[in-house]
Amino acid sequence: MSWQLRRASVADLEPIMELETGTFGDDAWSSDAMRSDLANAQCYYLVAERVGFPGVIDGYAGLFAPQGAHEGDIQTIAVAEGARRGGLGRTLMQALIGEARKRGADEVFLEVRADNPGAQHLYETLGFEEIAVRVAYYQPDGVDAIVMRLRIPEPQTQPAGAPELKGSRSDPATPASTGRFFGTTGPLVLGIETSCDETGVGIVRGTTLLANVIASSMEEHARYGGVVPEIAARAHLEALTPTFTAALAEAGVTLQELDAIAVTSGPGLSGALMVGVGAAKALAVALDKPLYAVNHLVGHVGADVLREDGSAIELPTIALLVSGGHTSLLLVRDLVSDVHLLGETIDDAAGEAFDKVARLLGLPYPGGPEIDRAAVGGDQKAIRFPRGLSLPKDMEKHRYDFSFSGLKTAVARWVEQRRDSGEEVPIADVAASFREAVADVLLTKAVAACLDLGVPRLLLGGGVVANSRIRTSAAERCAEAGIELRIPPLSLCTDNGAMIAAIGAQLIEAGHEPSGLSFGADSTLPVTVIQG
Amino acid sequence: MLLAIDTSAGTSVAVVDRDRGAIVELGEEDTRRHAEVIGEMIQLALDRSGVAISELSGVAVGMGPGPFTGLRVGIAAAQAFAFGAGKPVVRVVSHDGIAWGHYAAGERGPLLVVTDARRREVYWTAYSGVDTEGLPLRAQGPGLSRPDDLPAAVDGYSGYSRLDVSEVSAASIGLLAEGLYLHKREFAGPEPLYLRSPDVTLSAGPKRVS
Repeated sequence: MSWQLRRASVADLEPIMELETGTFGDDAWSSDAMRSDLANAQCYYLVAERVGFPGVIDGYAGLFAPQGAHEGDIQTIAVAEGARRGGLGRTLMQALIGEARKRGADEVFLEVRADNPGAQHLYETLGFEEIAVRVAYYQPDGVDAIVMRLRIPEPQTQPAGAPELKGSRSDPATPASTGRFFGTTGPLVLGIETSCDETGVGIVRGTTLLANVIASSMEEHARYGGVVPEIAARAHLEALTPTFTAALAEAGVTLQELDAIAVTSGPGLSGALMVGVGAAKALAVALDKPLYAVNHLVGHVGADVLREDGSAIELPTIALLVSGGHTSLLLVRDLVSDVHLLGETIDDAAGEAFDKVARLLGLPYPGGPEIDRAAVGGDQKAIRFPRGLSLPKDMEKHRYDFSFSGLKTAVARWVEQRRDSGEEVPIADVAASFREAVADVLLTKAVAACLDLGVPRLLLGGGVVANSRIRTSAAERCAEAGIELRIPPLSLCTDNGAMIAAIGAQLIEAGHEPSGLSFGADSTLPVTVIQG
Repeated sequence: MLLAIDTSAGTSVAVVDRDRGAIVELGEEDTRRHAEVIGEMIQLALDRSGVAISELSGVAVGMGPGPFTGLRVGIAAAQAFAFGAGKPVVRVVSHDGIAWGHYAAGERGPLLVVTDARRREVYWTAYSGVDTEGLPLRAQGPGLSRPDDLPAAVDGYSGYSRLDVSEVSAASIGLLAEGLYLHKREFAGPEPLYLRSPDVTLSAGPKRVS
């Protein structure tokens, strides 16, 4: 008999409860308790489905591990009578331990009946140790519970043979659960990103990040209060060759070793894109390597495959991409073949709204971090700023679209009225209330998309994800709605070449042909065109 | 041998040799397709020349003056190609290449090179003639001017033979670079000759909305 592990959902409640009551009898959880755990994003339940027998569940196990709590609890585990002694219990446990590690847990706890030495032995072999006894914990039998703890081992360092890793990232952790080995497989791809004000060059091998070097011209734009396209393009030309050199050094690879080159072909600032496209083509010809043109927005989603824990992105997922240039809600069924635009901003991007509001509050550029700082101690409910495109009539036509122009004007009007009447402007309250309005509308629409489409996963990307309120708001809303939230590391959320390289590697692994040399830079490349 | 690239007007790519001259030269007049055509043109020029990348001694590139978006594509491509091939980049003023071609064809005397700068302006450079090696001698410029203001902008305007061109030959850029190298003359600097500041003005502060 063999089984396939998959994440459990509320749809699996019935077979799980059958197994639960069959295994635990009087101790069994109620159906409601189990349903609540299955729907809770802080929990992670797996079922073992018998291969060739869809719907036949021979085991399940659950973990409770809130992101960032540093500890996890094994909630329950059960294996059907006829499926025991085949290592299924151990496999389930290893998978949960791997997930706990992924969620940042250092320790995992469990309780086991004192009269079940078989289970205790299994846990000991997995590294759990007894730390306490809860007397007469299991009722009505009055059986003691043994509390056991596993200290999750330190992540292993990179596999032998992988290049030396330096610079802007830490070493990858090898997941305990899946045994998936990464670091030496997959195509070696160099990615180039020049769509806005960051010159990014990244190098990946498959889904492993080897280098992520970014040269930003942000400071040159600061005095103008926003990105000046010509200044950005000039800066790309200057920065590109030094960025190549730095990325190769960081990855410890040579140009000759590369399997392919990938470049952002759009959307973005036209003149800026052309620098990257021109350079990428010439580099590809000089090295006689295949070239892949990649959509910038899909790159932001692709950044997630580079997570250091190596956990594969689960699809389909809803993706919310928020930056200075984009505010888009996507349905991603496949990274290289099926990305659908659900909605986007009809005027300003969210990051632009942050910049503009920062300016009218007298705060410097870029506005996102400044508003974040100014909002400390402010009351986010002090002023009820409008939520763009959220009225019932707007929701009919623009259910997944965004608008921030009216919000910016509302903030400006509110501030002007205060100033006109000689009153002091409560900067912290305005910043906090404005930020809340942005976070609210972003997350309300993203969560609605997840629920409407029955996709319980949300991925965030783009530089605005650095905003603390947007992150906490996302965590809260997703937890409430039973949605799994994924946020790639911040260095991969802002524009970078590694995410472009990652999509390049995905395209290669999916067997896509190179893009050739005749594609252009397309400032309005639609997100459905994954490969330009 | 050099790979030569110029995108200060249209797109031009050539492979040149000091002794053999222009081995191959390809041109695309369209001034809005630089990024699209540059890769294929480099590939095709190399293929048609029969010259292996390893045989090249470097990459020559025209640094303008030229409208910035297109100009940058050629410079970016030249730098990236040179980086990939492990060869040096040599830079020349694009107008110098035009003047070199003019004099190499047997013309003599003072020359005023004029190219389109868009936005109803022109780029210009004045040459007094050639030195003993046949290399053009820049007298004034490069500069940027409105066409009507050109006579006032160029000292001794009427003494120059004016040459308005809409295409820049990469072969001329490459062969000029060969000449500069052979006679140990200075190449152009690393800064592209945009001759225009980015279009941007400092804001006077947020506008009132009420």
